[in-house]
Amino acid sequence: FQDQAEQFFRSGHTNNWAVLVCTSRFWFNYRHVANTLSVYRSVKRLGIPDSHIVLMLADDMACNPRNPKPATVFSHKNMELNVYGDDVEVDYRSYEVTVENFLRVLTGRIPPSTPRSKRLLSDDRSNILIYMTGHGGNGFLKFQDSEEITNVELADAFEQMWQKRRYNELLFIIDTCQGASMYERFYSPNIMALASSQVGEDSLSHQPDLGIGVHLMDRYTFYVLEFLEEIHPASQTNMNDLFQVCPKSLCVSTPGHRTDLFQRDPQNVLITDFFGSVRKVEITAETISLDRDVAGFESKLPKDELATEPLKYAEQLPVAQIIHQKPKQKDWHPPGGFILGLWALIIMVFFKTYGIKHMKHIF
Amino acid sequence: VVEGLALLDLGISPYSGAVFHETPLIIYLFHFLIEYAELVFMITDVLTAVALYLAIQDFNKVVFKKQKLLIELDKYAPDVAELIRTPMEMHYIPLKVALFYLLNPYTVMSCVAKSTCAINNTVTAFFILATIKGSAFLSAVFLALATYQSLYPLTLFAPALLYLLQRQFIPIKLKSKSFWLYTMQYTSLYLCSLVVIICLSFFLLNSWDFIPSVYGFILSVPDLTPNIGLFWYFFAEMFEHFSLFFVCVFQINVFFYTIPLAIKLKEHPVFFMFVQIAIISIFKSYPTVGDIALYMAFLPVWSHLYRCKFFVFV
Repeated sequence: FQDQAEQFFRSGHTNNWAVLVCTSRFWFNYRHVANTLSVYRSVKRLGIPDSHIVLMLADDMACNPRNPKPATVFSHKNMELNVYGDDVEVDYRSYEVTVENFLRVLTGRIPPSTPRSKRLLSDDRSNILIYMTGHGGNGFLKFQDSEEITNVELADAFEQMWQKRRYNELLFIIDTCQGASMYERFYSPNIMALASSQVGEDSLSHQPDLGIGVHLMDRYTFYVLEFLEEIHPASQTNMNDLFQVCPKSLCVSTPGHRTDLFQRDPQNVLITDFFGSVRKVEITAETISLDRDVAGFESKLPKDELATEPLKYAEQLPVAQIIHQKPKQKDWHPPGGFILGLWALIIMVFFKTYGIKHMKHIF
Repeated sequence: VVEGLALLDLGISPYSGAVFHETPLIIYLFHFLIEYAELVFMITDVLTAVALYLAIQDFNKVVFKKQKLLIELDKYAPDVAELIRTPMEMHYIPLKVALFYLLNPYTVMSCVAKSTCAINNTVTAFFILATIKGSAFLSAVFLALATYQSLYPLTLFAPALLYLLQRQFIPIKLKSKSFWLYTMQYTSLYLCSLVVIICLSFFLLNSWDFIPSVYGFILSVPDLTPNIGLFWYFFAEMFEHFSLFFVCVFQINVFFYTIPLAIKLKEHPVFFMFVQIAIISIFKSYPTVGDIALYMAFLPVWSHLYRCKFFVFV
């Protein structure tokens, strides 16, 4: 039991959240909604409940008048897999998917009247999965055809989350053109990021369905979905396998990932740490006393993870800079040469016009 | 101006923010006088009124002389008797001009708003005074100052030149040597003073970045906040592709009227000056009501023509 109890404390998180965002509207962006819904489906299947998922879809494809199969959103051609189903709970729909709402969800600055289902009520022991898809470019992601979120804003939002202790670890996946530019600016710890394409590359869509008439999925998310279909709540697959999903031969674009801000080795990070909500519950009638050894799990971890000291929140805030003294303002004075030159000119003009001898003749 | 001075106190160039578009001499002036800003604007308005008063007084004397000469030479047609001016009715015109300027609600508005247009008006008024008094040197200096402040008084070069030529009794023929000589002198005075003033402003801040901020701003019209001018509405709706073309067209529009007016109005250069000031205040890229106040102040000078007014200019 001691060994198994040790496993409880392995990854440091106690709950899982997911924020899944589709940012494009209009019928021809069917595939973005299908992407998001397929990730939603996988995440729900692996155990994260609807109360812990914030699903933002910018348009309604299932009930779109152009949908030949109403109330369905397919992710495989020939209508193999309906990702819409009966129990999809969309939290932010249609015009509510804006940059402002997204940032408010992340940072928690929500008006008091917002219902619980629209809030990200994470704490400092939550692992959050953030999946974004849509149309993007170098350094931005387009929301709803009218506004953009930049990579700097996103990085700052994540820093706010870190400072407010809103996550333990964060996995950020983005499937857009030039997606790697979105994670370039992150500077908060414990973030791992994956993108479907590098800067300068386009993310391509997978397959059109001739019955529905649009492309159903993007390549990267299609292969991620295939990968996730094989994961079950008890699987031990780690992040390195996720990094291998969709090589260039299948995806045409080069997926990228960023792990320098993440403190654990990706080898030791389970897929279910982010995609699933794993509760290891073992019912027993005996009492087990947990002694110091189990609680002090740091010593059992491999040595290279000890090298980086776990970052504490209090040290993040640079107090000295916050209450620093304003530098003493030096008053600006015009340079002496200028004053001299100006007044010399004025006196010259004066004497030229009102010259002592010529005063009468000029005027 | 306050923002520019605050930026200077913080140690960075005042032109680095996109708010300050005044010339360095204004920085120098207000560096010492910012506490007494209201007084400064009151004094500038009073100075403008005094300058206009003296200018119109002198102008009336010139007009009289000319009129007397032409009456003696019998150049007037008999039915023009109504339009011939008498000293009695012209006695109060300078006072009327000064009062028109001071009591104009537009002037009061720009004084209360502490708009630097008042300073532009003062410089222009002094330029007019110097021109009418006949001093080419002072007129060139003040014209250079006025051009330095806002680019458009450059068009007042033509009426000033015409007036000074007439005062020196130099005939305005393209072949006459003395005409070209005088023109060259005046032009070189003007250009030299302009160059001197610009170099002096360089030495204030040791940088040339006032040139794109002041003149680049006036010419390329980047800021499209609504004002009483013509530019913003067109440019707010224009495609980027055409904006350069239309900026050029609009700017040429201001300068374009000088040549036809010079040809038509070469006998009446002061009227030409008045019309030119009116054109500047309508067509300039960022007009304010203070510009309107300046040309409205001139209206009493030609009050005898009101009987013949078919077209409403004001």
